Amino acid sequence: MRASRFMILLYASLVGVPILLYLRIISTFYGMYLVSTVLLALASLGLIVFGVIGFAEVYIHKRHVAEEVAMPLRMQIGRQVQERTGSGTKMIDIVVNRFDNENKAMRNEVYKVEADKNTTVLSALLDIRSKQDPTLAVRYSCRMGICGSCGMVINGKPSLACETNVFDKMADHEITVEPMYGHPLLKDLVTDFDDFFERHMSVDPGLYRHDKREKYGAKEPFKLSREDIDKFLPYSYCIMCGLCLDACPVVNSNPEFIGPQALSQVYRYHADKADQKGVKRLLEVDTLDGVWGCEFAGACSKVCPKGVDPAGAIQLLKGELMKDMAKKEEG
Amino acid sequence: MINSVHVPLRFYFILLYFRIVIGSMQTRDFDVVVIGSGIAGMTTALHAELESSEKLSIALISKIHAMRSHSVAAEGGISGVLYPVENKDSEHLHAYDTIKGSDYLADQDAVEILVKNAPKEIKFFEHLGVPWNRNRDGHINERAFGGMSVNRTAFAADKTGFFMMRALYDELTSHKGIEIFHEHMVTSLIVEKGKFLGLHMIDIATGESTFIRSGACVIATGGFSRIYDFTTTSYSSTGDGIALAYRAGLPLKDIEFVQFHPTALVPSGILITEAARGEGAYLINAEGKRFMETYAKSKMELAPRDIVSRAIVTEIEKGRGFSDRLSGLGYVHLDLRHLDQKLIDERLPMIRDISRKMLGLDPATEPLPVRPAAHFTMGGIHTNTAGNIMLGAGSGHAEGLWAVGECACVSVHGSNRLGSNSLSQCSVWGRIVGIAVARHVAHNKAGKSKIAEDKAWQEERRIEEMLSGKGSEDPYALYTELQNTMSKHLYVYRNTKGMARARKDLSRIRSRFADIYIKDKRRTYNANLRDALEIGSMVELGLLVAECALRRRESRGAHAVREYPERDDKHWLKHTIIQKGIAGCRISYMPVSITKWKPQPRVY
Repeated sequence: MRASRFMILLYASLVGVPILLYLRIISTFYGMYLVSTVLLALASLGLIVFGVIGFAEVYIHKRHVAEEVAMPLRMQIGRQVQERTGSGTKMIDIVVNRFDNENKAMRNEVYKVEADKNTTVLSALLDIRSKQDPTLAVRYSCRMGICGSCGMVINGKPSLACETNVFDKMADHEITVEPMYGHPLLKDLVTDFDDFFERHMSVDPGLYRHDKREKYGAKEPFKLSREDIDKFLPYSYCIMCGLCLDACPVVNSNPEFIGPQALSQVYRYHADKADQKGVKRLLEVDTLDGVWGCEFAGACSKVCPKGVDPAGAIQLLKGELMKDMAKKEEG
Repeated sequence: MINSVHVPLRFYFILLYFRIVIGSMQTRDFDVVVIGSGIAGMTTALHAELESSEKLSIALISKIHAMRSHSVAAEGGISGVLYPVENKDSEHLHAYDTIKGSDYLADQDAVEILVKNAPKEIKFFEHLGVPWNRNRDGHINERAFGGMSVNRTAFAADKTGFFMMRALYDELTSHKGIEIFHEHMVTSLIVEKGKFLGLHMIDIATGESTFIRSGACVIATGGFSRIYDFTTTSYSSTGDGIALAYRAGLPLKDIEFVQFHPTALVPSGILITEAARGEGAYLINAEGKRFMETYAKSKMELAPRDIVSRAIVTEIEKGRGFSDRLSGLGYVHLDLRHLDQKLIDERLPMIRDISRKMLGLDPATEPLPVRPAAHFTMGGIHTNTAGNIMLGAGSGHAEGLWAVGECACVSVHGSNRLGSNSLSQCSVWGRIVGIAVARHVAHNKAGKSKIAEDKAWQEERRIEEMLSGKGSEDPYALYTELQNTMSKHLYVYRNTKGMARARKDLSRIRSRFADIYIKDKRRTYNANLRDALEIGSMVELGLLVAECALRRRESRGAHAVREYPERDDKHWLKHTIIQKGIAGCRISYMPVSITKWKPQPRVY
């Protein structure tokens, strides 16, 4: 800012002084000699003073400027624009199977993207959105595999786009990306999750305590050992990405089946020692469209990006129910 | 299919289409609206529901799916003095650490509220189902964190925020008074004469607009670290709530302070939690030295984040860093190799998983490349200690408006937040505000207002014009320019010339933004429109950061100016308040509340 002030004054004096000189010469013809001389003198003095100040400021600031220049360019603070040539990048094709919501039809679109060893499918899609086609709808948020937004089918496998490295997945420089078909389609790669959330809600997730005042006015921590926590911990990793539902063959043929995600959450709370709902929680899913709907295909556990193992959880629920049944028969 | 429909019926359908998709706006009434569904927003909604014995109608609005807010990415833990005797800890010490960490800009009355209530919140969340890590006796484990004198950070592996979010979401599903609006974007707040009247929002999935009429609103929309391109935050951390408040004429506080987390993975910016250093990881430069002993001899790697970030940047500048060939970013090493593998798997499983998946590196056998990334914005909407949004420096509070969490500036973090204090802040003020808002609504019923409805229609027309407009600027290109300017001139170290340059560039970007072009014209899941709205918020906030930063002629906490390397308590021990003026912004200052801890030199 200061340097530019100096430059403005420099230009101003280059233009201004000749004009004033010219005015002075002309004014002699009209007898305004004294006035114009004073004007010229004042103006010149002003220009000199401002010029000196500007120059001094530039001089003082040279130190800081020098400091910035001295810094090696690569190490500089801002992110450097990357040299595009010969730095391990490859051009790849991303084939996006988009859902056209107005014509209710799917169509393939091919985008060319530059990728390097760190490019994920999500970062490639976002690159397409910001540089080539902003109309491409994608759902995303954390880009680190914890929010569960970016579930889609990549090269035929339901996966999180942010956790899928492009180079790992590449066959013939091409990657196919499709929306999850196990959820209603909204637009392009985005699916509707209302039904999925409904399923999750239907099993009444959440820690149940008989005494609500004790629950919300917690005074002391629960008495839990590490082993108690380890019993439910693996099932509490669910990020609600919906991939298991997409992969489940049962739910895709019988929508009434409650699905692997919700059932795994039933087990998560059932296995928690602090939960007091007990067998009631189990009996709610003791139906043909509940735990008994599961045919143990195991696809849910295979696609789960967080290693939750819903299929295992459902079998454990079946076991718990059998135990309960046996107990009732004895009693 | 439509061809088979009778002709008059087809016309009727088309008319219906126009009515629904273009010219309509629903009106809904709620007692309370909470914008934002992170830990702060959900906790507020839950406590409002509990306080009113489930009698209120509460809207919880999230621009993404509610359980996916950026709080899920919080890794390290939540601070609170749980075992004062065993850990030789006290609330007084926690407060002192926080205030010293804040470089004495924190309001000390607010800090006292935080430290007093934080332990209660840890227990509260346990009763919602958060699996806090236990020691052998079954006690909740607490780990070391930057700037904390003793171990006082409770944690659930390195997914603390995720577990808290899931517990909260599951809890909310059983409260029928709370209606969750997934993927709804609030575009404007309707505030008249300091009184909240309602808001206008768009359903992203369908594109329909809704006018929500309510007398009480809680803003809990998080920070705006996405104004930087190298950031640890989700794509959703765009500061919409703060920009909405600013546009509605409400003041913002200390907006110049942006926290840079020392250890973000190069090149993606994904967070490697401070807990890694809390568990014993080292920071190593290219010479193989633990360089932190030059900068903070007593705390080493566990100095507060501003100090560690400056240390890393200095090492890189001095040529003692590494350089990433692909991205051109300089970095140092975070070394976990000397830690027990079992400890990593038990306490830091996520960062191990992420490093493997993203970089193909296993932290147990190889050091991780890290550098500072934008992580948290200390500044935000100016509130008092009760969470009410204020109307200006030294004036009263707005009616029916609260702010909680990162988007609010109470201020407990001052110029630099200590790690793990943010989760406590969100839950402590979530409870305070939740209860306050329920009590407020019990006594004040919102009436109908013609002005509010007119304003909502005005907003609807503005969105229409944005969609149908024929501008020439590409919002994504402007966004890239914004991020480059911020990263270049307002990073860890700042200088007067750079900040002045940034202000000039940012105000140019802001004026160019008025002429943007939205390519996607469809209303259904128009992510293009949503991006444009978000970029609009960020363009606004970026400029405000530069405005406030340029004026603060000292180095305090996260704001380090090369020309003024010292803290200047004589002139600058005060909060910056920035508010929309008739033309441009209006900046004023207000004193810091100091109760027990007089400012001292900050040495670690």
